[in-house]
Amino acid sequence: MKQLIKLDINNQVYEVPVSPKDLLVDIIRKKVGLTGTKKGCGQGDCGACTVLIDGAPVLSCITLAIACQGKKISTIEGLADEQGNLHPVQQAFVDYGAVQCGFCTPGMILSAKALLDRIPRPGELEIKRAISGNICRCTGYKKIVEAIGAAAAKISTGGVE
Amino acid sequence: MFLSDFEYFAPKEAGEAFALIGRLGSNARVLAGGTDLLLMMKEKMIEPQYLIDINAVPEFQGISDLPGKGAVIGAATKISEVEYSPLVKEKYFALHQAAGELGSVQVRTMATMGGNSCHASPAAETPTPLVALGAKVVLASATGERQLPLEEFILGNRKTGLGEGELLTKFILPEPAPRSASRYGYIGLRGAMEIDAVNMAVNLVLETDGRTVKDLRLVMGSVSPRPLISVEVPSILVGKQFDDALVEEAAAAACGEAKPISDIRASAEYRREVVAVLARRLLHEAFNAAQEV
Repeated sequence: MKQLIKLDINNQVYEVPVSPKDLLVDIIRKKVGLTGTKKGCGQGDCGACTVLIDGAPVLSCITLAIACQGKKISTIEGLADEQGNLHPVQQAFVDYGAVQCGFCTPGMILSAKALLDRIPRPGELEIKRAISGNICRCTGYKKIVEAIGAAAAKISTGGVE
Repeated sequence: MFLSDFEYFAPKEAGEAFALIGRLGSNARVLAGGTDLLLMMKEKMIEPQYLIDINAVPEFQGISDLPGKGAVIGAATKISEVEYSPLVKEKYFALHQAAGELGSVQVRTMATMGGNSCHASPAAETPTPLVALGAKVVLASATGERQLPLEEFILGNRKTGLGEGELLTKFILPEPAPRSASRYGYIGLRGAMEIDAVNMAVNLVLETDGRTVKDLRLVMGSVSPRPLISVEVPSILVGKQFDDALVEEAAAAACGEAKPISDIRASAEYRREVVAVLARRLLHEAFNAAQEV
């Protein structure tokens, strides 16, 4: 039985019909139409479906959409500012060649953003731990770690949010 | 990988949650973090008709310090909250370590303390240090509540002492003894996103001389269907001056007590060896830390 719920995604409120069994990843992709969030393993192992809920990274493939009412959800589409300027983590991924096939990238970037919000200048080990729940099958971890480190340096010297 | 239909409830108060659990009985499952439950539902291992989401109940949330008397951790408290809690790090270091090793950042953000014990996986991270630290669980229902030591609550692989209509609502941890320290360790196949082949926690208390062991608890995980409390290690070390020879003897004894099986993650033989290694390592770490308290 479907019911209308309100979901706050990237500071915009969407009213969507959901069944209790609907998973957040499917609602975000199919009902809301934001396809930046990827569905990989569907078992909470790969991290491709990572979104931020109230600022912390969660796996949208094992989260019920109905349980997300009243929470602030951020997806990769919400990171750039209103003028379309990329978030420093996104820009660093471009600059450092940290994107290969791109499937893991939205989840990687959201995990990285959550880390930098919590620890502005993380060490390499902290970066690796923070993305250990995001699997890159192209195995391009080295450049991803470098990009996150560079974004951290830029954010803390540049005074960007 | 789709879920079967169910009805969803999100009570806002404890009384409402108990009433639902009592009324819906075994057709219902409690949704806390969902990191185990929703996977089991996707795999169709279970198909509950009702889910009772307990995350909106304030009484089941958070960590509170009881100065001089311990601490209370709500069952719906996220693992990441325990991992980042300065209080847990200071008073219950082994639990802080275990919380930081569970799953990935995402899993720790979602998964709860109550869920990790109620799922009762033999390889679970947090029950091992909780038992070593002497944690009790509070089991509550519409008709009242009772307390049980955690080791009496977890009965085996996915088996607990949760009664009909009951919910695990919180963990009560005793105040750490003076000159005590706890440490957690594990061995797995990888550094991240692994399931422990063996884990262990040690909680060690020293006498005023700073060398004699006054009290000790060593608990092993993933080498038995439930957290295994060593009987022999305390009998070897308590009342004695801590030294390498006794630690060797204790490590061998722990190794003899472990009852591991061979599975996809490790052979029984390897697990037994690892028990000795972890016991030796954690006894030394806990002793050194207790001397500095």
